[in-house]
Amino acid sequence: MTLSRPLVSWLYVSPLMLVLIPFFVLPILVVLVASVFETDGFGSLIPTFTLANYANVLTSGLTFNLYFETVKFTVLTWFFTLILGFFVAYFLVFHVRNQLLAIGLFLICTVPFWTSNIIRMISWIPLLGKEGLINSALLHLGFIHEPLGFLLYSSFAVVVAYVHQLTIFMVVPIFNSMARIDKRVVEAAFDVGASRFDIMRLIIVPLSKSGIALGSIFVVSIVMGDFFVTKVMSGGGSASVVGAFYEDISVLQYPSAAASAVVLTLVLMATISLILRTVDIRKEITR
Amino acid sequence: MGNIMLDDSSKPSNRRARTESGKGRALSRRSFMKAGAAIAGAAIGSEVIGAPTIWAQEIKDIELRHVGVSYSVVKAIGDQAAKDLGFKVTMQNLDTSAAINRFITQPNSVDIADLEGWQAKLAAKRGVIQGIEAKKIKEFDNFLPIFTKGELDGHKIPRQGISPYEALYIEKPDSTELHDGVTDWLTNVPQVYNADSLGYRPDLVGHTVTEWKELIDPKFKGKAAILDVPAIGIMDAALCFESAGLIKYGNKGNMTKKEIDFTCDKLIELKKDGQFRATWTTFDQSVELMAAGEVVIESMWSPAVAAVRVKQIPCTYAAMNIKDGKEGYRGWCNGMGLMKHLTGKKLEAAYEYMNWYMSGWQGAFVSRYGYYSPVPSTAQKFMTPAEYAFWYEGKPAPEPVTDPYGVPMEKAGTVRDGGSFVERVTNISCWNTLMDEAAYMNKRWNDFKVA
Amino acid sequence: MSAAPQMLASARARAKRRAIAPSRGGRPWTFYVLAALFTFYVVALYGPMICIYILSFQDVRGGLVFPMKGLSLHWFVDLFTQVRTGDVKGAFDRSIKLAILVTAITVVVSFMAAMAFRRRFPGDNIVFAMMIGSLVAPGLVLGIGVGLLFNAIGIDTSWYGSALGAQLSWTLPFGVLVMFAVMSRFDPAWEEAARDLGATAWQRIRLVIIPVLAPGLVAVALFGFTLSYDEFARTLQTAGPQNTLPLEIWSMTLNVTSPSLYALGTVTTIISFVIIGAALGTIVLIQKRRGARARAH
Repeated sequence: MTLSRPLVSWLYVSPLMLVLIPFFVLPILVVLVASVFETDGFGSLIPTFTLANYANVLTSGLTFNLYFETVKFTVLTWFFTLILGFFVAYFLVFHVRNQLLAIGLFLICTVPFWTSNIIRMISWIPLLGKEGLINSALLHLGFIHEPLGFLLYSSFAVVVAYVHQLTIFMVVPIFNSMARIDKRVVEAAFDVGASRFDIMRLIIVPLSKSGIALGSIFVVSIVMGDFFVTKVMSGGGSASVVGAFYEDISVLQYPSAAASAVVLTLVLMATISLILRTVDIRKEITR
Repeated sequence: MGNIMLDDSSKPSNRRARTESGKGRALSRRSFMKAGAAIAGAAIGSEVIGAPTIWAQEIKDIELRHVGVSYSVVKAIGDQAAKDLGFKVTMQNLDTSAAINRFITQPNSVDIADLEGWQAKLAAKRGVIQGIEAKKIKEFDNFLPIFTKGELDGHKIPRQGISPYEALYIEKPDSTELHDGVTDWLTNVPQVYNADSLGYRPDLVGHTVTEWKELIDPKFKGKAAILDVPAIGIMDAALCFESAGLIKYGNKGNMTKKEIDFTCDKLIELKKDGQFRATWTTFDQSVELMAAGEVVIESMWSPAVAAVRVKQIPCTYAAMNIKDGKEGYRGWCNGMGLMKHLTGKKLEAAYEYMNWYMSGWQGAFVSRYGYYSPVPSTAQKFMTPAEYAFWYEGKPAPEPVTDPYGVPMEKAGTVRDGGSFVERVTNISCWNTLMDEAAYMNKRWNDFKVA
Repeated sequence: MSAAPQMLASARARAKRRAIAPSRGGRPWTFYVLAALFTFYVVALYGPMICIYILSFQDVRGGLVFPMKGLSLHWFVDLFTQVRTGDVKGAFDRSIKLAILVTAITVVVSFMAAMAFRRRFPGDNIVFAMMIGSLVAPGLVLGIGVGLLFNAIGIDTSWYGSALGAQLSWTLPFGVLVMFAVMSRFDPAWEEAARDLGATAWQRIRLVIIPVLAPGLVAVALFGFTLSYDEFARTLQTAGPQNTLPLEIWSMTLNVTSPSLYALGTVTTIISFVIIGAALGTIVLIQKRRGARARAH
């Protein structure tokens, strides 16, 4: 018995739908509805239809500042994870000859992720603090005379924490893309005298495009949707978009938090669509 | 089966039983209950033949879920309660924000809600808690009158913010509005409270701090810190500005838009001037900032000051007695609320649980953090006279003082910062709160954060 | 005509002068630069971990930072007997079990979804948009929404129920996107060949597609595990009456945080190294055996 192709596809995709519908579609509808309600300040939701929440979110200078801060961190994180991730993947794919060794090195990079993110966040203090390992080492070696204060509770610390956490999300997709580059193509390019730079520019980067796009999507989604890394590592010096509606939720201001959440979701969906327009991942597998 | 009200003066077995006060009789609650139930069963009639075994059996299967913040809902306390009472107690810690959201959106998943005064107001409004019968709380009459009557020794406790007294009473068990005045029904049973002020390094500051305005003193530029919780941070800031004479607030716990604007604008100004080294988010951050000398004066919590002292670094919790209507501590109080869905056996067990808190073991435990029990008389029974003298009476410690887990903390002879608890509590000038303009306040606080 | 071989010869000479390709003989200068970068990356990755390892060996007076106090196994004991605040061990158990569940389900469901997307089907754009939406929607708010729904329906929230679903809504988009990238390198010719040889659909999947895509599936598993283990925002309101590890630790930060967390970090590192060592060792053993068998023929 052969089933029609669309039916087969729907069967394959049904488990995904089984998760998405109750755990994304329905809750987001609840959020959408809540965003047009009002509240009495005590956590109730008064059913009306008002766009006041959206007006507040979209016209306030605070929103602009929050997005600016968060986007700043996102771009910096993206940039550093891209550079680091790209070259780490490149090293593992092209310069490590023994495949087992490559796997081993890769697995070593994943071990820190078995320790919960929050524990690693806490451990930045003994590393970057004024009495921490780095400052002690630098003082001991005589490079500085006073402990460096900017290492912790600063924007620097926030970016370092994000890059530490997220480079692996760049390495894996780029590694995947690079691994399928036919090495004979690279060899042929060498044979006709192409410089390393040209090979990088004309062969490797274009063929890793989908991996780069994927990694970027992951990094952008995680950083824009995060709040506690910024809260903890900036020492309260910076705020973030999600951090702001965490505080709204703390005082049960559901409608305005809902409106902010919807705005953020739409902004991110637009960003990701843009990335996917440059590199159509879907086209790569559909025929 | 009816309520079996047992004499609460049977003291649960306590591994810290001190022989001097003669509390050694390890008469376990369970055996007393069985005996009492047998007597009551005989008195009630034939239908309760086998009642003791049924009661003990039924209560064994009960599980109470107590949810709240980690400084108030402590696993060690829950374990001891379970041991003494015979049923299961599961403590779950969440941060303040997640906890209140859980109570409101998923009330069936919690049995005992740990509520601050303002959270009790919210929970009542949303109808997720049930009124607690004051008569069923054994030690209610022994509660400090600051909770039950809003005064102490005739001195009325200030009500800026939402004081525990204001949040305590409701008219009927299912009322949604708080009642100003004494009634028979409570929203919560207070279980732990304290008076917060500033922590500072006496060695680096050079003099005794008794005024909030020192936090914003340009002398300490770049060496001060405030905490990153909008509702609390803004009150600390308000205390500073009022202390410096910059503004007089109508109610620091419920500011008008103009007052909020003034406070946040001034904070932004101070931040741009570089007054604050950091706005701390986690408890340990506040400890580390002080211990490493990165800040010399900071909004702190009592156990944080203790934690700094454990590192052998001097740190004092400023005594902020009220002067000329200014200064004063910022008080907070956590209490246990009963969720509406509790009925029958579980409700009985919940009352037992709350009464156990007032019987003293818990009171002694939290004292060693520097917190207070609403019923000092029972807590005293579980503390050594030396401990009680140090923590409650503000006298010099006759012997070294340890923290709740036995780690030595204070040397003999040290005096608890701020003096006796009467002195500290009567000098509370405002309480943790939820303002009418909370949404607006959050926005302005975020402006301060992105500045 | 004679110019061509001359050009080739000079090109080859130029290539030799510039650098030697990585697959031939010695190491070019770029190898050392990249190796240094890689080493820097690994060191940076382990930087905080080193602090964790060192500080986990403090004695009972220990705090979360240097200077170190004493030397003892006190916190390891505390981790297993839980004298101090918080239920670290219980939360850890739940987190690991949940992470394993999420990983397994993510791998299977992502694989299936990617299989579906191999052809256009009616509604595929909507499904794709829903997936991206699930990826970017803020977890905090979504978690509250899920909690509200469960409460309204009357099902209890729990770490193995609602939290599982909420975490899957976060990991599945990652998994499916990675599968897209992985499947794109899958040459349909292999599948065609299998079909031509008479393999059924299930055989094609089991014997051709899955083995070829195995590294990709491992990548999905890795992401699924990491994302689930560290997941905080969505789990906060959906975990029910028992905390997962991130929730427990976050709640502990309102109070004195115990160095038993560091002990936990050290223990998990030791376990993971043991597992990795065992896995690599098995692979080496299998390869040796295969080599021996091949030589024997």
